[in-house]
Amino acid sequence: MPDQTEPLSQLSGALVAHTEAAKNAVVAIRLPHERHITGLMWRSGVVVASEQSLPRKDEFELVGPNGSVLTAEVVGRDPSTNIAILKSGESISAPALASGEARPGAIALAIGADGAGGVSARLGIVNFAGPEWHSSRGGLVDRRIVLDMRLAHREEGGPVFDVAGGCLGMSTFGPRDQVIVIPTATIERVVPQLLKDGHIPRGWLGVALQAVAVPDALRETAGQSSGLMVMSVVENGPAAQAGIVAGDIVLSVDGTPAHRFRKMARLLGADSIGRKTDIRLIRGGAVITVQLTIAERQAA
Amino acid sequence: MERLRVAVHSTDPLRRAALTRVVSEAGHLVVEIEDAPEVIVADGGKPPGESRMVVALGSADEEAPGLLPRDANASQIDAAIRAVAAGLVVRFPGVRKAGFGAMRETEAHALLTPRELEVLTALAEGMTNKAIARRLDISLHTVKFHIESLFRKLGARTRTEAVAKASERRRRETIVL
Repeated sequence: MPDQTEPLSQLSGALVAHTEAAKNAVVAIRLPHERHITGLMWRSGVVVASEQSLPRKDEFELVGPNGSVLTAEVVGRDPSTNIAILKSGESISAPALASGEARPGAIALAIGADGAGGVSARLGIVNFAGPEWHSSRGGLVDRRIVLDMRLAHREEGGPVFDVAGGCLGMSTFGPRDQVIVIPTATIERVVPQLLKDGHIPRGWLGVALQAVAVPDALRETAGQSSGLMVMSVVENGPAAQAGIVAGDIVLSVDGTPAHRFRKMARLLGADSIGRKTDIRLIRGGAVITVQLTIAERQAA
Repeated sequence: MERLRVAVHSTDPLRRAALTRVVSEAGHLVVEIEDAPEVIVADGGKPPGESRMVVALGSADEEAPGLLPRDANASQIDAAIRAVAAGLVVRFPGVRKAGFGAMRETEAHALLTPRELEVLTALAEGMTNKAIARRLDISLHTVKFHIESLFRKLGARTRTEAVAKASERRRRETIVL
């Protein structure tokens, strides 16, 4: 019989207890070839998953906490925050998840589904906890949380807990297989919108842009040294309708200088849809202004 | 060796030029995507709704018969084209996904000018300095000047390296809005 007053026994016992308590918080989402990823039981009947790892299909089989298999439908996905949600007709109960605060150095426990109704656990610490950040897809993530932890691909999408049992968010992979967390606050913000619309409404210009230096000869006229070059234009998109063509260099949108992507991403929130904007750009060696009506981005 | 009809799909003109060159140097006939290709080499993902024989580079689309990493070399691309045309499935061991990452901003001092981008596209097509000077209607001296500046901004020592680095940067630092 191990000594229950010994600190390591206590730690181990606590981790076991936390893992057991998390059993009802995960489901396995079945993929082809006997593989699966993990889903986080968010609310009764609502499962949150990692968008980047969920194949583009409408329906999936889930394996619930007791090993029961049920069907769930994908009702929304947002690549910009890496959140997808699935809903099951048969209601699966979800535990009440309390939100936790990520602090560097704190112990983190990540839970995955084993595919047969059980769970797997990963232990690590919070490696880094920073402020909000923008993803490469333009979404706003409330905090930057990086874990010092290994994670199997089948465990991606499960909850990450602190030692008080607070949920830091959903585990996922960042660049170079770094394990990061999509914060609970982001999931709380995005899920209701996804349940309502199936996607996150965002403004859309219909262009691919790359930052370029403004040619020396034009710097004075342009009033800035960098801009965003139009690499391609979506056919019949808002930019195409405004007459914008590949090769144009966008200098500003409604007076906001367009040299940082983040600023541009912020300009295109849900409230921008339908707004008329003045786009100042360089074309053929001259600075001109065109008017463009921001449309709504179609679901990917 | 059999000569196949191959289409190259990429939204990045630099990558399209480089891949077109790889495919034609492997002895294939490069055709338009509407022009009954036997195999489509698709950079990134396969074109939406495409159900024909596709070799996808740098994609996680498990439905594509051919999946190669983005930096696959010329002989791997050729081997994959031929294998897929023969009805085989091609996978690369340990191909890693990009992961969910942050928006990247290019540092101001490393930004390329529109002219440098034109020179890069020409480099990707394998053009000589003379041919580039002719195409852009500039002096040979100016071409050399642009290439030196490209090398410096991209941290490249050779033309091939410059094309590869610029294309990698474009992949990471292009935003679709």
